[in-house]
Amino acid sequence: MQKVQKQIEKLKKSFHSTNDFSSRIFVSQKGIVGFVFLKSMIDAQLFSQAVYLPIQKWQGQIDISSLINKILKNNGVEEVAESEIENNILDGKVIIFSDFFEGYISVDITKYPTRTPSEPPTSPVIQGPREGFVEDFKTNMTLLRRRLHTKDLVFSTLIVGEMSQTKVILSYIEGVADKRVIKEIETKIKNIKIDGIVDSYYILSYLQKRPNSLFKQIGNSEKPDVVASKMLEGKVAIIVDNSPIVLTVPFILMEELQSSNDYYTNHHYASLVRFIRMCGLLIAIVAPGFYLALQLFHYNILPLNFLITIADTTQGLPFTPFLEILFIFLLFQILYEVSLRLPSYLGLATSIVGALILGDTGVKAGLISPPGVIITALSKIALYTVPEQQSQITVLQVLFIILGGSLGILGIVSGFVYVVNYLNSLDDYHTPYMAPYAPRIKEDLQDGLLKRAIGANKNMPRSFPNSKGRER
Amino acid sequence: MKTISARQTGIIVFLTILANKILVLPSILYKNSKADSIFVMLALFFIEFLILLVFLKLKKNYPNQTFLSILQKKLGKIIAKTIIFVFLVFFLFKTMLTYSVLFVYLKDLVYQDEFGFLALICLIPVINHATIIGLRSMSRTFEMFYYLVVVGIVFCLAIAFFTDISTPILFVSPVSSLFASAWQGLFAFGDYLVLFIFIDRITIKKGEAKKVMLFALVGVIFVLAIFTIFYSKYQLTSFMHNNALADLLVFSVQFNAIGRLDIIAMLTIMTLGLFQLEIFLTAFCDCFVMVFSKLSIKYATAVFDILFLVIYLVLIAKYEVMISLATSILPYLAIVASYLLPILFYALSFKHKREVKDEENH
Repeated sequence: MQKVQKQIEKLKKSFHSTNDFSSRIFVSQKGIVGFVFLKSMIDAQLFSQAVYLPIQKWQGQIDISSLINKILKNNGVEEVAESEIENNILDGKVIIFSDFFEGYISVDITKYPTRTPSEPPTSPVIQGPREGFVEDFKTNMTLLRRRLHTKDLVFSTLIVGEMSQTKVILSYIEGVADKRVIKEIETKIKNIKIDGIVDSYYILSYLQKRPNSLFKQIGNSEKPDVVASKMLEGKVAIIVDNSPIVLTVPFILMEELQSSNDYYTNHHYASLVRFIRMCGLLIAIVAPGFYLALQLFHYNILPLNFLITIADTTQGLPFTPFLEILFIFLLFQILYEVSLRLPSYLGLATSIVGALILGDTGVKAGLISPPGVIITALSKIALYTVPEQQSQITVLQVLFIILGGSLGILGIVSGFVYVVNYLNSLDDYHTPYMAPYAPRIKEDLQDGLLKRAIGANKNMPRSFPNSKGRER
Repeated sequence: MKTISARQTGIIVFLTILANKILVLPSILYKNSKADSIFVMLALFFIEFLILLVFLKLKKNYPNQTFLSILQKKLGKIIAKTIIFVFLVFFLFKTMLTYSVLFVYLKDLVYQDEFGFLALICLIPVINHATIIGLRSMSRTFEMFYYLVVVGIVFCLAIAFFTDISTPILFVSPVSSLFASAWQGLFAFGDYLVLFIFIDRITIKKGEAKKVMLFALVGVIFVLAIFTIFYSKYQLTSFMHNNALADLLVFSVQFNAIGRLDIIAMLTIMTLGLFQLEIFLTAFCDCFVMVFSKLSIKYATAVFDILFLVIYLVLIAKYEVMISLATSILPYLAIVASYLLPILFYALSFKHKREVKDEENH
């Protein structure tokens, strides 16, 4: 009695007598059996039906072997060392121990609220699978396993976070993913020193070689079909418990112009859409800056009728063109932030107020010009052709507004060359960021801006390292 | 070692060939040798092409060695560093000339007012950054923009071609004028010299030398096409047009019908100018690091910025001074750097061949 009680007290103390810490005692003919668990993490009904009652009803000898093989026939029953007890309890397992046998048994009857896989709001598709990852890592592993029916699919678990003890699962196809990349990721994750990981984004900044960079250097997706197809190309997926976003490494910018829709539709149409996305990206970044450059420095280039329209509409504005565009930009950004944070019914009302009242009245009151509103709105809408890069593009928009407004087209060209030079200097995990265009990798161009039919992609991509690909 | 491919090397060659030749040079040469300047260009290109062959030979003989180590091994430390220093000065003035040509274009046609410092603010950080991130990243950018530059130039040529043009009047200048023109245009050449500086970072696999030569040929064809169409279009008034590529678009029917198409020439020239500045500055900084081996590339760019600012205030602000320097004194530097030294390198590659043969015989 004393031994079991002592152990329970010890564990309770180590859990700081938390409210959800529970223990049960069962007195059998041979002695006492103790059960310890966190009631917030287990299935209480299952505990009484599949753990407590079978032990209570058992007439024979109770020891470790009989508990595992005869009494508790669940899948998740195993013997654990004393040092692992606390972690097992935290994982939602029940720990069983007694004063008449040595050792500890852990029974997995974890139950906590999880979401069922549904279509992720960030990447809806017209055709193709609609399942999305959820916060539970086990479900996410299952979703991948269902798509990659091979014994070469490997999941390797690492624990990160002093306090959160978050499970980070590296997933890759053995023989396809490059060993150097796996090793590099593993080392980086193992070296993370942090109190807690609450989302995969926390891991992301540790995996990037330039964590202060504006540009995303790690891929991410909420869709298992996308992650599975990336793994088939030799990429490594990183599943983080409690996060529906799965990271993929290595990453190239071209991935942002690709959408899962492209692979479930006619490839000619997919090529067209990718080209439009590319144009959208360029318009989003440079349109306001370019408009300013033309208006302030190079108005002689504008067609005469357009110039007259601009002159007519900007006459008498209280702001300079530069301030006007910045003002409209700020207005759009405020409306965007507001619509994100407000409940949907209010968000709609805000959009109407923003678009109609502020925009229209602003123009009528002579505070802003219609071309300014149109150009800024166009660039803001174009931004959503590549929604994943939304934050980066917004920063670039401001940069190009400043460059175009202060230096004209030379500023835009210089800024653009600077950004492309910078992007070309990114080569995390032996992968050139701008591949397959810089450096030009002929074989991979078939899934670049122009997409060929899926059957034409006979070789493994060479833009990033993979075991089957050519060493670059 | 972060190396660049034969294709990227070819694109660097293509970009440097266009440097300083497609804006001011046609009008400068026209003053001396009229439309026969095309022949002058052809002759100079031919000689320059031989230098490319010298480079390819040297690369074949010393596949992974730096330029400095090759020179040091054959000529000793002092002579090697002196040669590198000559290159350093050569590339400094090449950068200056490229900048001043771009500056004049911006001042005359794009901004129509004094623009010097504004352009400096804009260009210096970009080319410094490109130099610091290194040749490989830079050449990847060139690779991305290559087709855009080609399309831009072809567009300018095409628009000009469809306007009122007549065959340029050839064979009118005496031989002495041709030589005078060649002398004036000499400093605009010597572009392949950047390859010698980058020799250790260039990977040319077997059979890929042709690729580099092909890009060089495309560059030469483009320059000659610009010269020919420019002279065909402006004939006797060619000397008045200081911005050849941009001026090709002016007075064309399509130009007025579609709208102002300056934007195409503008973007092409600005992009080209920036790339050329990046290449020459990288070559300058590499030479600097070879001469002052204890200093890093960041110091080299800082030194360049200071030198640039000083020379800018003295020379480029007065465009005529820079051009007269480029057509009178700098050709002497070009003779040494672009012709005499490559001959020396050619001799070195022969010497190396003989040594290898001797070793084999032993």
